[in-house]
Parts: sequence; structure tokens; C-alpha cells
Amino acid sequence: MATPTLTETLDLSAKFPGAVTADARPGYTGWIVEAGKLLEVAAFLRDEMGYDLLSSVTGVDYLPDEKMEVVYQAYKTTGGPGIFFKVQAPRLDPIEVPSVVPIWPGADLQEREIWDLYGVKFTGHPDLRRILTWEGFSGHPMRKDWKEAFYEEDAKPFKSRWPEGRIKMAEERNPFGDNVTFDEGFDPEKWTSNDPEEALYTSLKKYTAETSDGIKTDHILVNMGPQHPSTHGVFRAVVILDGETVVSLKPVMGYLHRNHEKIGERNTFLQNMPYTDRLDYFNSMSNNWGYALAVEKLMGVAVPERAEYIRVIMAELSRIQNHLIWTGMMLNDLGAYFTPALYAFEERELILDIFEAVAGSRMMCNYFRFGGLARDLPEGTLEKIKDLVFDRLAAKVDEFDRLLTENEILVARLKGISKLSPEDAVAYSMTGPVLRAAGVPYDIRRAEPYGIYDRFDFDVVTQTDGDMYARYLVRLEEMRQSLRILRQAIAGLPEGPIITGKPQYQVRVPAGEAYGRIEAPKGELGYYVISNGKPNPWRYHVRAPSFINLTALEKMCVGGKIADFVAILGTIDIVLGELDR
Amino acid sequence: MIWEWLIKALVLIFTLLIGFGYLTYYERRALAFIQSRLGPNRAGPQGLMQWMADAVKLIFKEELTPDNAYKLVFFLSPVVTMVPSIVIAAVIPWGPPVTLFGQTFNQYVADINVGILYLMSIASIAVYGIVLAGWSSNNKYAMMGGLRSSAQMISYELTLGLSFVVVILMAGSMSLVEIVEAQREVTWFAVIQPVGAILFFIATLAEVNRHPFDMPEAEQEIVAGYHTEYSGMKFALFFMAEYQKMIVISAIMTTLFFGGYLGPGVDRFPWLGPLYMAIKIIILLFFMIWVRASWPRIRYNRLMAFGWKVMLPLALALVFITATGILLADTMGNPWLMAIIPVLSLIAGWIATLMVDRSLRRKSYA
Amino acid sequence: MLFEYIAIATLIVLAVIVALIAIGLGELFGPKKKMEEKSMPYESGMTPYGPGTRRMPVRFYLIAVLFILFDIEVVFFLPWAIVFRQLGLFGLIEMAVFIAILLVGYIYAWKKGALEWE
Repeated sequence: MATPTLTETLDLSAKFPGAVTADARPGYTGWIVEAGKLLEVAAFLRDEMGYDLLSSVTGVDYLPDEKMEVVYQAYKTTGGPGIFFKVQAPRLDPIEVPSVVPIWPGADLQEREIWDLYGVKFTGHPDLRRILTWEGFSGHPMRKDWKEAFYEEDAKPFKSRWPEGRIKMAEERNPFGDNVTFDEGFDPEKWTSNDPEEALYTSLKKYTAETSDGIKTDHILVNMGPQHPSTHGVFRAVVILDGETVVSLKPVMGYLHRNHEKIGERNTFLQNMPYTDRLDYFNSMSNNWGYALAVEKLMGVAVPERAEYIRVIMAELSRIQNHLIWTGMMLNDLGAYFTPALYAFEERELILDIFEAVAGSRMMCNYFRFGGLARDLPEGTLEKIKDLVFDRLAAKVDEFDRLLTENEILVARLKGISKLSPEDAVAYSMTGPVLRAAGVPYDIRRAEPYGIYDRFDFDVVTQTDGDMYARYLVRLEEMRQSLRILRQAIAGLPEGPIITGKPQYQVRVPAGEAYGRIEAPKGELGYYVISNGKPNPWRYHVRAPSFINLTALEKMCVGGKIADFVAILGTIDIVLGELDR
Repeated sequence: MIWEWLIKALVLIFTLLIGFGYLTYYERRALAFIQSRLGPNRAGPQGLMQWMADAVKLIFKEELTPDNAYKLVFFLSPVVTMVPSIVIAAVIPWGPPVTLFGQTFNQYVADINVGILYLMSIASIAVYGIVLAGWSSNNKYAMMGGLRSSAQMISYELTLGLSFVVVILMAGSMSLVEIVEAQREVTWFAVIQPVGAILFFIATLAEVNRHPFDMPEAEQEIVAGYHTEYSGMKFALFFMAEYQKMIVISAIMTTLFFGGYLGPGVDRFPWLGPLYMAIKIIILLFFMIWVRASWPRIRYNRLMAFGWKVMLPLALALVFITATGILLADTMGNPWLMAIIPVLSLIAGWIATLMVDRSLRRKSYA
Repeated sequence: MLFEYIAIATLIVLAVIVALIAIGLGELFGPKKKMEEKSMPYESGMTPYGPGTRRMPVRFYLIAVLFILFDIEVVFFLPWAIVFRQLGLFGLIEMAVFIAILLVGYIYAWKKGALEWE
């Protein structure tokens, strides 16, 4: 919990006297910036100090203090700890904060999310529309005074389910009609849509292009999704086409929005752990680790050695199975009718069997706890892991390499298409394999190691082209590097306890804020947790890599063909669970 | 006379229909085994009744017609798509003449002396059904899919026609029966002109919108192709048309390049003719299924570029190579000089692949 | 020889009857529950924007015209191929000249970009 900004003895309050003050709340770090000076400070941080990767933009509602706060976390691509700075605004509508999109374009979708969920208007934002709820929605769901439909109580455990300590049966409790409140004049039975899509369609760059002969051509507007076999879930993209070429594109998300963060505020800290499984439902082990990391920072507990090694083993196995699915699904999108997918799934099944043996469940593992793990490896699991890692998986990755990498049709469909330059990638807050394929060797396991990653010897896989083929190669090679880490981890696995202290149900977390981030297989997964001493978090935010990686989707697709759009979406590797939360 | 035609026509139609049913089963099973899974094995022993279950299911599905569709065309375009796929098999000979009840019957529905021209023309009619299906659905996606599909089909029809010319050169006649008989004297035409056979295979794959050329109807692309709005039996007719075309082009390919019904002992036991045809057709179908299981799709613009810029010149070159080879063999009087045809065509094919390779490695391919 | 075509005509008629029977079966046995959402044209679950039939890109017309030209060329190949052995060298050279003239047109179309992007 050391102040993360003292690497170059950065004293922002000396550079910007009066506008920047250090955040002095107990357990908090970073700087509080005045709204008027925000752009100047941001430009200074990016240009002079080198913080070019804006990792996350979060909104926090301090209802008792009558303040709305926007928290920024920025990092340097050269590595090292980041800088937190916040802007506070009085909690009176309209709440206005200048938008940092001119400086870090990657803040685009995140600021829209804060507008949608908190009602903070970002002046200067190019296209401030709601993103996770629909355009006609009224209210800002994450505000502390907004009660959702079927609202019971503010924090779990809900007394209404255990009145006087006795269980109330669900059949006796009828929530319908009790506490559903709608806006005035809104009747769900009689509501008809009178095109709430207008804002969306006008936001698309519509223009009638002139071909070289001066003939005006028509553009057609096409919806890809939400019901589409290849958009990896309920995801929609509105595309304007000129023949086959994409002229303009806007992603529309929120079809799977469950307001995970508000649920997180209702839960106790430990109750949130199974909910994090459901974010990126393919890699529950990684999701758990990020959350455990954040809360362990707040609690100040250290994790025993054996638990650290097992955490690494589970996370790297999770990474391998994620990349296996990715390869399979990517080729499915390209049209290779399920054959590579099923070959990949065969291996994944073996990894999932290990997860089942260890955690009890294949995909929703709920395995990590604050200060360690839930339970130790059972008998015989270590042998199975050794078999997989040392014998089978290495051979399988090589087989995939042989079958796929030089295939002409694959190369023709992936090479040279949708190039992303490294400057663009960093500006758009890309993280993960896409960033590394663009040529920026930024891997959190190397840049700001968590757990015991600083003890392992592995390469950060980078390619220089930035096109889709490079992303494929990066993921293929990352599987090999994960196997390398796994071999070292298995070799060094010590005996010992599996959790610090006794397993508790309700943990008391001291007040403060923490940002725990890990290198999830899809990118940088960060958890921003604020505690105020109570058993439930005050703010729980997930920095989802799939969501933020989509900021550059338009840039990557425009100018290409519509047939490539599906492939590009595949190479970004999104999962709707964490995209929409 | 009329009884003979009726019975032959009915036998052909039912063979094709049942063949279509078992082809779907064969494909799903073969695909599954390649993908290390099992495939349908529940409906009936080993899943052999799967196609009946599918057919019954499709009959009982609701026939939806979208609101602003052009009803008559919408209703008739499945028929227009399916009929050519059956009719094209009329000229294929399934075996040498057979004696039944004292009378000699020919094992084909009709043997017209312009058999190849008939094949080409019916193949062109098949394009109509697809365009009409896409257009009448009143759906942007479907129309674009239909147009792209038809553009693809007509582009590859040129290569198809030129492959036919290669065969006619070698056989000296357009009638399919005479082509098979010509192969009896010389050898299978695939041996003389292997690149022609491969070219024909690729061209017919593109003709029937089959993988890897099935982008216009692919699920993963622009939602679905020309048959998006079709449900129930009308969709089944499109499906039927595609698979029947697969069977029929396999049959045509064996007739033209692989000796048709020729095989050991077929003269004494004419009933062996259809058996040999069936074996060869099943092997060719397996190749089509194998291709489908292994490769991703080719993107549409590359597909068209391939058809116009690679296949067409290569087919033209093959025609001239074959012609030169035949001429040389005839004037010199030495039939072994025809061996120059496969050599030269292999060189031509190799040059074509080199050029494709070079264009793929060009960096600035958009 | 000509009445072989009647055989083909029988086949066509029978095939059409089979197809119509198939559709008829479907219409007979399938349920008919019309609903507004079902009758909308399909566009990935959203209401489509804009009319259903729009103008089509001009490239398709170009491809069709080029197809006609080269298809005629292929049709001219067919009778030549049948009597090729009788024609001998003269026939080959004659055809080569014909093809060379058409190739000029083909290369022109290629260079002008008529074969691009589609």
C-alpha cells in the first residue's frame, strides 16, 4: 500500500499549486485535481512524465459528502507503478467534468459508462450517449440513492429474508408489485419504441461519398447482432457499408448488463468472490485473483508461499485454456467448420477437469480467498497437472502451430488486415495480446509484478506488425510461455499452509482504496475497491479488458471489408460477461 | 416408350432424393469423425434414419412468409432452384446397356448428342433460383447474399465450360455416353489431364456454393445468405438442391474424368456399372467433405479474383495444351505423345500456384 | 434422337411435381400462427433501418456483362472441340488467333480494374 507515485519524487502539488492536492483521506493515495485544471495536468502527465497508458476511469458516488468523484489510473508503458488522480465535483445536477478523450482517446467508452451509470457529464466528449443501458432509460443506476426494481435492502445479508432469524420461503414472498418504481408517465405495458435509436444512427458518420467519377453512391446501414452466430455473445455493431467496405462502425453493448458493480456494493467482500467468476466466464481463476489482490492490498495480508505458487499454476492453466478456446473460435469465425475448435476443446476439457478437482467446479471456480486459497490440491492432482504440462500440452500447441500457422487461407485472411500502430494501441488503452502484437512489450507480469511472477523466467511475447496474424502468433507463443512458467512453478512448489489466518466469512476490511490489476488472458483486468470499514464495499469497479479494448474497434474496422469485421472482433477476444458486467 | 421414360425418371428422382438423405448423414458422420466426435447415431440403427427425422421435422415447421415479400416468386424460387439439380442428371450414363425381360434398356434417361451443352445450360438456370430467392425476401441481407452468390456462380461457370472443352477435345464428342466409351479405349481422362480434373473440381465446388466457396450463405458472415427468410420445407428444398448438386457433380466428374461406369467386368455384368459409379461418387464426395472439415472460408473478393484471374487463364492454357498434345499425337501417329499433355499441364498448374503465392505475399493486399 | 428430349421433359415435369408436393406437404402440416414480430424481415434481431430493397452496386452488372462475353467465347469453343481432330493444325492456329483477340479484351478489362473487388 505504498504511495505509488514516488518513483521520481513526483510532487504534482508543487507543479500545479492550488489546483492539485494530495489525497489525504486515510487509506487513500493519489492526487485530487481541480476540474478546471484537469486537462493541463493530464497533458503534463502524458507528455512530460510519460504516463501514456490510461488504465481506468472510474466514477464514485460519495453521497454522505455530497460529492461525485472521477478516479483516473494511468501507467507508463515502460513499466512500473502508476499514478492515481481524481476529480471531485459537487453532487448537484448537472455534474460536469472535462473529458480527457482529447488526451487519452481510450477514455471514450469509460466516460460514457460513467455518464450512463452516474450521471456525470463530460464536456468535450465526442459522443456522450448511454452505453450499458438503453437510450430511453431514466435515472443513473449506480448512484447511491437509485433503488433498483425489487430492491430489498442496502447491504447483505438481507434481513427481509430472515425476519427474526427464521427463513422466509420464496413462495410466500411476492416481490412483484411491491417495490417496483417507474418514472412518471411510463407504463411498461403501453410503451412503444419510437426509435430511441435515432441518437445512435445520427452518431454514425453518415456521408454520401463521391466516387472518382463524381457519382454519388448509397450507403446501407446494417446491424450485426445482437442475434448473430459470430459476435461471441449478445453484442451488436451498427455498420455503414459502401458495397463491401466498412465506412463507419459503432459498437452497441449492454445486452448482458447485470449491474454487477451495484450488486458488488450490496454483497459482503467475500460474497463477491463467486460473482467475479461470472465476469469473464472462461477464466474464473484469473478474475478471482484480481479481486483477491485488491482486497488483500486493503487488508494488508500476505499470502503464504504454497498458495502463491498454486495461484500461478491455476492462472497460467487458465491462460492456456483461454487461448485454446480463442484459437478454436477464431477459426470458427473464419469458416473452418468447428474442426480446430473441437481439437482445442479436447485439451481444454483436461484443464477443466483439473479445475473441477481443485475447486469443485469447472468454470465458476470461486477458489481464491483473501490471504490464500479455499482448499489445497487434492491427491493426485499434481500428477495430472505434471502430465498435462510436461507431456501433452506442449505437443498439442506444436500441433496447432503445424496445422494452422502456415495455412494459406488463414494467412490470406489474417495477414496485413486491420493493422493497429503501437501509438494508437497505447492511446486507445489497449492491453493484452493486442497491445503486444502491435509492438508494445507491456505485460503486467513484467511491468508491475504481482504474486511471485518476478521469480519466474519467461519472455514477454511481442510482434511488430500489429495485424491480425500478429495477434494470432502472440497468443500461440503465449501458450508456450505459460507452459514455461508452469514448469518452473511446479518444480518450485513448496509445502505449507494454504491461507493466512483462519478462513472467515465476514472479513473486516480497513477503510481505504486499492486497485489490484492482473494480466488476464484478455488484457489488463483491474479491480478498484473502496472500503469504508463496513462489511460491504463502498465502491467496487471492474476494469474489464474486453470493454476497453473495444474503444479501438472502429479504428480497426473502418476501411476494411465487412467479412473481416467478424474476424477482427474475434482477434480482440471479447467475452460479454466482462464487457457488459 | 412413355412407360420407360416415366419409370427411369422416377427411379432417378428417388435415387437422388434418398441419396440426398444419406449424403447429409454421411457428411455429418464424416465431419464428426474428423472432428473427434461421433455425429448423429441415435435416430435408427447407427443414426441411419436421421434424414427421415429431419425431413419430418421440416415438414411440420411453420412456413413463414415475411410481410413485404413478393409472394409468388418467394413461393416458386425453391422449386426453380431444386428442379435443375435433378434434371441435370438426366444425361448421366450409369452403366452399359442392360437386358431385362428380353429387351435392352439403356442406363440413362436420355442420351442427347449435345450432352455437355445441356449440362452447361442447366447449370446456368440454377443461378436464377438463387437470385430470385434473395430478391423476393425483401431483406437487405438476403438480397446481397443472393447477388454475391450468383456473381460467384457465373464467374466460375466460365472455368467450368472450359474444363468441359478439355474433355470434349479428348473425347471428340459432346455426348456423355461417347465420352465414357472413349475412356474405355484410351484411359481415364484424369490421367491424361490431371490439372483439368482438379480445376473442374474447384470450379464445381464454387458452382454449388460449397465450402470453401460458401461465403454467401455462411452463417458467420453477413448473417445468412439468400435463404435467410425461408423456413420449413422451402428451406429444405434449398438444402436438397445443394446436396443433390453435390451428388450430381460428383457423378458428372466421374463420367468425364474418372471413367464413369467403367471397371473390371462391367461388360459382362452390366449391373456392376451403377456400383462402380457409386463407389467413385462416394470417394469424390468424401473429398468434398474433407475440404469442408479442414479449411476456413475464402473471402469473397479473393474468391472472385481467384475465379477470374487465376482459373480462367489456367483453363484457357489447359485447353491449348490439350489441343496441342492431341494434334501432336495424331500427326506423329504415336499415341504416347499424348503424355506431353499431363506434363505441360502440371507445369502450367505449378506456375499458377506460384503466381497465387506471390500475390498473397504482396504486402499491400487490401 | 429428338425424342430423347421428351424423356427429359418427362423428368422435368416429374421433378416439378415432386417439388410442389414437398412444398404442399409443408403448407399442409405446418402450423400457421402469424405474429407481427415473425413477419418482420430478419436483421439480427433489430428492426431494419431503411427499405428492404436498395440499389445494388454496379460491380455486379459489370461482372454479368463480362460473363456474357466470355461465355460466348466458351460456346464457340464447343463445336471447335468436337471437330478438332478433323481440322488439324489449321484449326488450332485459327482458334489461337480468336483467343488472342479475346485475350486482348480480357487484359484490358483486368488492367482497367473491372475485375477488382468482386
